[in-house]
Amino acid sequence: MDFLLLLISTGLVSGAAYGLIAMGFALIFKSTGVVNFAQGELVMLTAYISFTIYSTFELSFFPLMLVTIPISMLIGLVLERVFIRPMLGEPVFAIVMVTVGLAVILRGITIMIWGPDPFNFTAGLSTNVVYLGSIPFYPAQLYLIAALGVMTLLGWAFLRFTRMGIAMRAVAANETAALLVGISVSRIHAVAWMLSAAIASVAGVLFAANYKLAPDLWFQGLKSFPAVILGGMDSVIGSAMAGLIIGVIENLFQGYIGQGLREISGFIVIIIVLMVRPYGLFGSKDIERV
Amino acid sequence: MRNKLLALTACLLASTASYAADPGVSDTEIKIGDVNIMTGPASFIGRAVAVGSKIAAAEINEAGGVNGRKITIVTEDDGYIPARSFQALTKLIEVDEIFALNGTSGTANVLAMMPLIEENNLPTVVTTAPNELVYDPVRPSVFTIGGSYSDAFYGQLKYIHENLEPENPVYGLIRQDDDFGGAIEHGYERAIEEFGVKDGLRVRFKKGTANFAAEVAQMKQAGVNVLANGGIIAGAANILGEARKLSMDMQVASVWSEDMPPSVNLSAPAGYDYLVADYVALNGPDYDRFMEKARKYASEEEVAAINRYTLVTYVGLSALAEAMKQCGQELTRDCTIEKLRGLKNFDTQGVAAPISFDNEQQLSGTALAIYQLNAADKSFKRLTDFTDY
Repeated sequence: MDFLLLLISTGLVSGAAYGLIAMGFALIFKSTGVVNFAQGELVMLTAYISFTIYSTFELSFFPLMLVTIPISMLIGLVLERVFIRPMLGEPVFAIVMVTVGLAVILRGITIMIWGPDPFNFTAGLSTNVVYLGSIPFYPAQLYLIAALGVMTLLGWAFLRFTRMGIAMRAVAANETAALLVGISVSRIHAVAWMLSAAIASVAGVLFAANYKLAPDLWFQGLKSFPAVILGGMDSVIGSAMAGLIIGVIENLFQGYIGQGLREISGFIVIIIVLMVRPYGLFGSKDIERV
Repeated sequence: MRNKLLALTACLLASTASYAADPGVSDTEIKIGDVNIMTGPASFIGRAVAVGSKIAAAEINEAGGVNGRKITIVTEDDGYIPARSFQALTKLIEVDEIFALNGTSGTANVLAMMPLIEENNLPTVVTTAPNELVYDPVRPSVFTIGGSYSDAFYGQLKYIHENLEPENPVYGLIRQDDDFGGAIEHGYERAIEEFGVKDGLRVRFKKGTANFAAEVAQMKQAGVNVLANGGIIAGAANILGEARKLSMDMQVASVWSEDMPPSVNLSAPAGYDYLVADYVALNGPDYDRFMEKARKYASEEEVAAINRYTLVTYVGLSALAEAMKQCGQELTRDCTIEKLRGLKNFDTQGVAAPISFDNEQQLSGTALAIYQLNAADKSFKRLTDFTDY
């Protein structure tokens, strides 16, 4: 029983990381129709920035995030203004290719600034083991699961109750109609990138606190992509949930069947789900896939 | 008249002697190529390799060079991508006209370059990828320095079995699902069979895996208390971190990448005094002497980049230079290869076991020393001399 609980609990931890990264993907896709292939790099870059802040000022976790998140949002805004805004009106494929180029640039910049060595980054969190019942956790693991919960709740409330969130949904539903009723689509795009960068920073810092900070952190973006597909590319909340599902399934497959099945288990689930619901578990039926 | 013609011919031959020699050699210089990982996440290896070549070349040049010719190192970056390794070596051969090759990047990279190496009869010393695929089948101009992962794990498990003697030992293996992991499993298998100990669990994982929670939980459930940890750098640290969380009391054998400072910094907080087996010295008077040289010939920044790869490359270039020296003034690739093939007990000044390529595989430096980490102060204690397993 403990073995099963251990697999589920640690699956929730890795799933929370997938979910947070997937939320960033979905948020940009929902409001701009673009798959941001630089999302993993954004996660990595913001984690490294946070590491520098932590190393310099030795802040504890919450003050660290209070500094990291606004800086990340600013980076998201700058990236949108410099790389994406000039592409408005261009074919979606061209914009997607810009994000691919952006990913390569961000990877290069990260290694140029911080070098190739990996780092231990606790993000101001204790490394003492804590127990929930009989299940051991590192605090960073609990923070990761909690962060997904908080971000999902905030995401839902933002999209449901705020003017900006409703405007974002309007742009996602019909960009032309949204323009006609006076919504600034370009502003919505900028906000989407800022919020996505904010989520990326939370994901990056907590991923690094759990699994070390290294220049291959960007790869988690690709590993999280199945969660976006499973949850529905335009469903921010669905992506978060799908991340958890994939994380737990991966651990159960590895724990009970083993021999590297972790890697393919998520994809098996995705294929089955997409055969039944091609638009994902929580996605809209009319989305256009790239 | 006839005498004059003979004298003229002799003068012409003498004046063109250096041009008739193989590429990369002049009266004053020998160009040695280095295809290396200078960019990307694995560039900490490439930086260390480049420093090793620099120290060896500076030391040789200060002592008068190779029969009066100074060694010049020409480095090309391959970013750890085999296709780029091929391009880099093409450039080194056709544009820079190197005489020999010392840095060869990773296993897949040196294999990608192998057709060029063979076609050009390029004397090549492989120090950073001592993989069986490199020396079997043997290529006439390729010489390999380094122990095998299989021997490294067998040696560590043997030490644990004979000296640390854990109670009711249950062995476990976690390794990548590729050739590298296969080599580790080979050594593990040999240890299990030879010692007759319980084989608790063997787990494979994909390269790049970060989350090892399920694998370590499986180890715990199987009662593993001797772990052959085939993870590297962050992966190895994450495995040990999960084991610590589950309060697993165990002896750990590791890959030699885990004796590099960045790896130690990641893994030490888990608190396991793990073992490593390496074919270079990690401490002691010989290592201290090497570091003195490093501080003399390399910048502060380069000294900070030093790790085990610096030492193996230093040994590689020193052995290559010795072979070239034995050729005298008539330095050719054929002669260098012949002298490398005859190299026996070349003294590495204690940085590695003496180098001898006079064997069928042209393989040397296979002897490994076992070290144990002190996780508290991040230092290594040498447990054995260089030993062939």
